[in-house]
Amino acid sequence: MLPAFAYIRPTRLQDVVARLNQGDAQLHAGGTDLLGCLHDGVFTTDMVISLGALESDLNAIRQTEDGGLELGAMARVARIAEDATIRQRYPALAQAAASVASPQLRNQGTLGGNLCQKPRCWYYRGDFACLRKGGFKCFAVNGENQYHCILGGTDCFIVHPSDIAPALVALDAEIKTASPQGGRRIAASDLHMPPSEDPRRETRLKDGEVIVSIRLPGAMANRYSRYRKVRARQAWDFALAGCALNLDLDGDQVRDCRIALAGAAPVPWRAQAAEQALKGQTLTAATIRNTAQAAMADADPMSQNGYKVALFEGLIAEMLEQAAAT
Amino acid sequence: MPTEETETQNIEGQTPFTQAPDNPAEDKAEPWGEQTRIVGRRHGRIDGFERVSGGAVYPSDVSLPGLLHAAILGCPYPHARIKGVDASAALKLPGVHAVISSADADANPEWHQGGRIFNDTCRYEGEPVAAVAADNPYIAADALKRILVSYEELPYVSDMESALADGAPKVHPDGNTVKTDSYSRGDLKQGLEQAAVQVSGQYRTASEMQTPLERHGCVARWEGDQLTVWESTQGVYAVQSRIAETLGLPLTRVRVIGHYMGGAFGSKLDAGGYSIIASVLAKRTGRPVKLFVSREQTLLTMGNRPPTRMDIRLAARQDGGLTAIEFTGRGASGAYSAGGASLLDWLAKDLYQCDNVATELEDVYINAGPARPFRAPGYVQCAFAVEQAMDALAEKLNMDPVALRLKNIPKGSPAKDNLPYTTDGLRLCIEQGAQHFGWEAARAEAAKRQDGPIKRGVGMAAANWFVGDGGPPCTVIVRLYADGTANLNMGASDIGTGTRTVMAMVVAEELGLELDAISVENADTGTCQYATPSGGSKTVPTEAPTVRRACLAVKDQLLDMAAKQLGAGRDQVVFAGSEIRTADGFESLKIRDLDRLSNQKVVVGLGERRHNPDDVSITPFAAQFCELEVNTRTGEVKLLRMLGANESGRVINRLTWDNQLIGGVTMGIGFALTEGRVLDGPTGKLCNANWHDYKLPTALDIPPELISDPVMLNDDQANIVGAKGLGEPVTIPTAPAIANAIYHATGVRPMATPINPLDLLPRLNQET
Repeated sequence: MLPAFAYIRPTRLQDVVARLNQGDAQLHAGGTDLLGCLHDGVFTTDMVISLGALESDLNAIRQTEDGGLELGAMARVARIAEDATIRQRYPALAQAAASVASPQLRNQGTLGGNLCQKPRCWYYRGDFACLRKGGFKCFAVNGENQYHCILGGTDCFIVHPSDIAPALVALDAEIKTASPQGGRRIAASDLHMPPSEDPRRETRLKDGEVIVSIRLPGAMANRYSRYRKVRARQAWDFALAGCALNLDLDGDQVRDCRIALAGAAPVPWRAQAAEQALKGQTLTAATIRNTAQAAMADADPMSQNGYKVALFEGLIAEMLEQAAAT
Repeated sequence: MPTEETETQNIEGQTPFTQAPDNPAEDKAEPWGEQTRIVGRRHGRIDGFERVSGGAVYPSDVSLPGLLHAAILGCPYPHARIKGVDASAALKLPGVHAVISSADADANPEWHQGGRIFNDTCRYEGEPVAAVAADNPYIAADALKRILVSYEELPYVSDMESALADGAPKVHPDGNTVKTDSYSRGDLKQGLEQAAVQVSGQYRTASEMQTPLERHGCVARWEGDQLTVWESTQGVYAVQSRIAETLGLPLTRVRVIGHYMGGAFGSKLDAGGYSIIASVLAKRTGRPVKLFVSREQTLLTMGNRPPTRMDIRLAARQDGGLTAIEFTGRGASGAYSAGGASLLDWLAKDLYQCDNVATELEDVYINAGPARPFRAPGYVQCAFAVEQAMDALAEKLNMDPVALRLKNIPKGSPAKDNLPYTTDGLRLCIEQGAQHFGWEAARAEAAKRQDGPIKRGVGMAAANWFVGDGGPPCTVIVRLYADGTANLNMGASDIGTGTRTVMAMVVAEELGLELDAISVENADTGTCQYATPSGGSKTVPTEAPTVRRACLAVKDQLLDMAAKQLGAGRDQVVFAGSEIRTADGFESLKIRDLDRLSNQKVVVGLGERRHNPDDVSITPFAAQFCELEVNTRTGEVKLLRMLGANESGRVINRLTWDNQLIGGVTMGIGFALTEGRVLDGPTGKLCNANWHDYKLPTALDIPPELISDPVMLNDDQANIVGAKGLGEPVTIPTAPAIANAIYHATGVRPMATPINPLDLLPRLNQET
């Protein structure tokens, strides 16, 4: 059952920002996560602000001066998955978008919404007064933590549910926002809030701040980039492990690389030790193994999720072998 | 028929599948033979358009003038004593018409196992504490939040091992063992001594939860002392008698209607607490009341396949002949006696020929939602153990798994004193399936694909099902009208399997009519004849012969009429399609031209289900084959192709047959790979109480090639249509066929469900 709330449909972005700055208003883009959260009583709200009537175009996908792309935050996930330019120049992003949820949800959900979704932890979503919802503890610590994080957990041990966010981190994307103060640009790798800083927020967006677009740098276009997701069920499921890989290859040699993981940590997790292990190396069985192990060097599994260490190692190794084979 | 096991009660205190009472005479009539006109064809649902267009009114679609909406407040703890319920704030909410709880003695009748609808001690999360009726569902939901309940939390147990430990909290005062059971034949010790080879293992299966597309619930309306309930159910008469008994009403005062219903799988064989709550609230408010439980409440409270732990030992001679089978199974009923170990040892003692068998069963209470019969109860779990153990035995004997099974095919039911089977169906399923699947070539080819991290494997498993025979009681009426159209009246529910279509095809076949000349009315105690619930794969073998018998009764009367009209002897007239002819072929009459029919307007044929022959065991058989790939670096299992060979006698509608196979395999894939109840250790609460976290398989989890391969034969000893049950046999072998293929691919044997990277990957890394 939905709670009672006011529903407004502003036509100007400045009105969205102004209203969002008040009380506990919530944005409604695709609604695929918001409505579920309200139905399930995960949080409540007194005002829902629709982005559906905006005059400014938040759906556009356009070329930028540096040879990159700017993607409107309201672009549907399905469109990101299908767009020919994205598939050609930034395949990791298209693959990540294609691995989201189900066809219906991809048609409805938006790019911005995917980055701002709430965690899927069953304690957070369920009938448990957990820390992230304002309670005093994380139930996963002594509970059923098979799907929880192995990296970056403190106080709260969710995994961030987005597939698209790690792809954007690996592609060094930038998030453009609007806010009462005028908006800013945030590196995709800085968008999400680790629980060590605030276990009750998922992003660093401030009150009243809205994502308007995502910029993919021209420098990252046409690199070898891939996203692969391992899940317990082949559709409508979040990642047990996901990996976004972005390699600047010179033959077999890796000039530069970025690796970001889904299903590993409370935020999209940039595997910097693995990147260091791989940079400048030739893709051989040994460097691939070293890179996969480096990615998991800091892993600190809980009682039931130790399998994820081997899973990420296997996944990263498989993806690097495929890169070497191309 | 089996004895103790079938008496295992479900939560509502009824046997899962109603057994035959005193039987009328045995079923005999001229079989249809090989050449049939309509039966055996692929035919779409006669109500398909209504179902997909929204025209079909399911119980959850029913709306009535003045309808109130009810909701149930469930206990948030796995075990708690209720110290008080204060509904005053809820009752003050505008639009709230009634609140009932254990505090209202006259709204809280006795319910199953000595309890009541609302109990002072709640033994599982979600157990009903109170219920409200309000103007709309939103007010009802708000009202639930205003009911103040004072709970005293009690210690709980949520797994079988803890429940049986010394000093464990007691679910019921008598302790946590529901019941134990044992079976033996021959001499186990001797059988083990005779063996050249033994294998043993401990297998576990997770609890699979009942979550049909249409949620559980009903609409209840009183007109004076007459109660009408529109309920999503497998059996309107079972619901009628349960409501009448619980509310102290004569049967004639309760009418239950369930024309359409959206799935069940065993969890809607009987009335639910919701049926009683809706009826009581409707009585209190003087308004019709609609009560459908939420999806979360479905997963918490509407039944499940019990979790099991099974120890099995097989012993065989060097030639593969089984000499001993030892099986110990434990299952958890949940918070009430609900068949936690029901039928759990049947495949162990009944699938293969073996002289020396001993089984033991133990049913355990835990503080979790009670089990309910779930598509082949016990069998699906047991198959995971037995058929994997057979696979392990074949390897140890250096025998082909198909050959090992063929070596041990019984001629009669081993657990029913070798009562002869009516067919050699187990052998036929295995042989035909292996041939059409290309078993030997696929096994050999897979063995060659072992380089690299992606391993290919091929596996198979077989099964039977002990109640695919059907039986009385069942009454059917067929009316033939003067214009040559016919109406079929039967009490049985069509639970989505196509029962209406299949029965209409039986009528069309027997009366020589086209399918569009048949109308079907069913599942209404006010207007339809008696039927037991549609469950246990017994609807076709129960209803179809009865429908045919009613048609034969119609034809008998038509022949009387024709003989008189033609001035021929009664034995000189015969049916020829939609005409009746004299035996010499000189004269004929269309049925519409029968004078007597024109005058009397309708001919009524009564069919009653006769009993089955008692000197044979009427049993459906199955075998499934699976080819898959395992990614040994990630633990991912990718199903490539599967084939299901079933012998269930005559195929009446090939399309609904294939639907059953595809649905059964899909459900088996969920059981094998994705589904399993997760109860939180520290709180005992259900973690995966929604359709995201409780992972039903999707279209992408089904192999791209899934072949339905019926063994075409007519089991004319079974009944007068030659058909047996299919709905359960199609799901029993799926999980072990997959598990055996995984073993073939990797050398790692899945010992527990669901088989997923969580369990598989660490073992792959450990053992390779």
